[in-house]
Amino acid sequence: MAVRWRRGVFPAATWALAGLLLAFILVPLLRLGVATTPAALAAEAAQPDVRASIALTLKDAVISAALAVLLGVPLAYVLARRAFRGRSVLQAVVDLPLAVPHTVAGIALLLALGRNGWVGAPLQQLGVSFYGTEWGIVAAMLFVSVPFAVNSVRDAIEGLDPQLDHAARSLGATPWHAFRRVTLPLAARGIFTGAVLAYARSISEFGAVVILAYFPMTAPVKVYEEYLQNGLDRSAGAALLLLLVALSTFVVVRVAATGRFAR
Amino acid sequence: MAFPAPGLEIHALHVQAGAFHLADVDLTVPAGRVLVVLGPSGAGKTVMLDSIAGFRRPIAGRIALGGSEITHRPPEERRIGVVFQSYALFPHLSVAENVRFGPRASGKDDPAAVRGVLERVGIAHLADRKPGTLSGGERQRVAVARALAIGPRLLLLDEPLSALDTPTRDDLRSGLRELLHGLGIPAVYVTHDQSEATLIGDDVAVLMGGRIRQMGTSADVLDRPVELAVARFLGLRTLGPLRLEAGNAVVGPPGRTLRVLRPPPIDGDTVACYRPSDVVLSPPSEGRAENTFDGDVVAVHAQGDVTRVEIAAPLAITAITLPRVARQLSLAPGTRIAVTLPPDALRIVRSA
Repeated sequence: MAVRWRRGVFPAATWALAGLLLAFILVPLLRLGVATTPAALAAEAAQPDVRASIALTLKDAVISAALAVLLGVPLAYVLARRAFRGRSVLQAVVDLPLAVPHTVAGIALLLALGRNGWVGAPLQQLGVSFYGTEWGIVAAMLFVSVPFAVNSVRDAIEGLDPQLDHAARSLGATPWHAFRRVTLPLAARGIFTGAVLAYARSISEFGAVVILAYFPMTAPVKVYEEYLQNGLDRSAGAALLLLLVALSTFVVVRVAATGRFAR
Repeated sequence: MAFPAPGLEIHALHVQAGAFHLADVDLTVPAGRVLVVLGPSGAGKTVMLDSIAGFRRPIAGRIALGGSEITHRPPEERRIGVVFQSYALFPHLSVAENVRFGPRASGKDDPAAVRGVLERVGIAHLADRKPGTLSGGERQRVAVARALAIGPRLLLLDEPLSALDTPTRDDLRSGLRELLHGLGIPAVYVTHDQSEATLIGDDVAVLMGGRIRQMGTSADVLDRPVELAVARFLGLRTLGPLRLEAGNAVVGPPGRTLRVLRPPPIDGDTVACYRPSDVVLSPPSEGRAENTFDGDVVAVHAQGDVTRVEIAAPLAITAITLPRVARQLSLAPGTRIAVTLPPDALRIVRSA
């Protein structure tokens, strides 16, 4: 009987603790969901500055995700397929944004990309400015979402048999042709996942964005401003709206991914 | 004798692969002949194929095909068909698209030619299937068809039958042999299985520890290994060092010696070996043939088609016999048995 009792305790404890963590995620979001009335939500959605901030966030998150994948695929390919000294150092650099506090990232980006920065000063000559512009928003979003894009694509390429590449080459394909006709289509799902993760990470970025660009205002910054100026209850409307927009695009994209690429 | 058509020529090839070194490979495969590279796992067989195909850069040496050097050409310019051990079929493409990949990549897309290759290998009915839905034997044929579709100047096959179950392997083996010999191009076939070497190869190169230890016609190499390591890999057992006794080359303890036919010059490094399947077992009372002695069976292991018998004293002998013979002789531990090692069945190898 003692043995049976112990057998019963382990799954029960597992489920209880798992449930606790899930509740920790869901309860605040549910509370947010009932914090405001549908009418108030509609009123919030009707405000031009709120709409503008959401549209800006979605647009820049798409640009950031596209850049992360476009620039991330070559890096991921190198990390997955080439053996060279310093590869683990390179991988650590890719993961660095995960460890850097986002306000710190914002300050570092501003120092490099600002008017007098190493990168910012020459670009300023070309008319590109990062402080308080969409360039700055995209730069901040890209910085924090690069690890998600690169690691997801790298996992996908690492999962492919390297002999497939050899087979393509032996059949007369140049390295580029082999990449485009074999590696890329087979890694498409991982690339898509990487883009979705980078997009989701970009939408939610606050710390780095707020330092580079308080204005134009992205939705997370707008929510923060509402909270500071009008308090908890008034900011809940904008917060819920942002949550709904972020979740719905995320869900649409995930459904599209599983439907499109399902076997 | 006709001058052999120029095929694959490898001269003094050295390849470094991590800590592994493939050393000083010299070989020639004329058009229309199949060279089997036989060796245990880790011998360097795949490293050698990778270098010929162009996936791995040699540190020294020369590879020529059809009379022109290709040592430093990229793989896509070599026109060498490769059948990979895992087949490496493109999972996102249908069978027909897999076979068409090569002609398309080199700008010589010809649906009729692709159709022809599919039919030649007997997989035309599978054209629209995805590799994931095929059996192992079907995949193997697709891999061969894909390699042939580029009109290769050389075919490389890396253990193409090792991923298959025994009945499928037996089915495909002779078909593959005929196909390879009908192509009129040189082929290099890598395997660790000496029965495949016998059936498919015209010539055999034994590769062990990154070096070619012996090369020759398949019948010759498999029957007459020259080195102890090669003999052991081929399944031969050692009897002991060879010595001269009253003008005869003999092996074994004094008074129980076995005579060796056609002995080579004898020195401290010559060792006598035998194939367990060449050992003749008979009832102990029968008349004395040459090289016969009585021994006691210590173990009998049934191994499917054959039975392995371990015999002790005066020489420890392993015999491989048919299950029927084992039953007729009532072989069991403790059985007294006459063991004959015919003088012409003994093989002399060098241990150093």
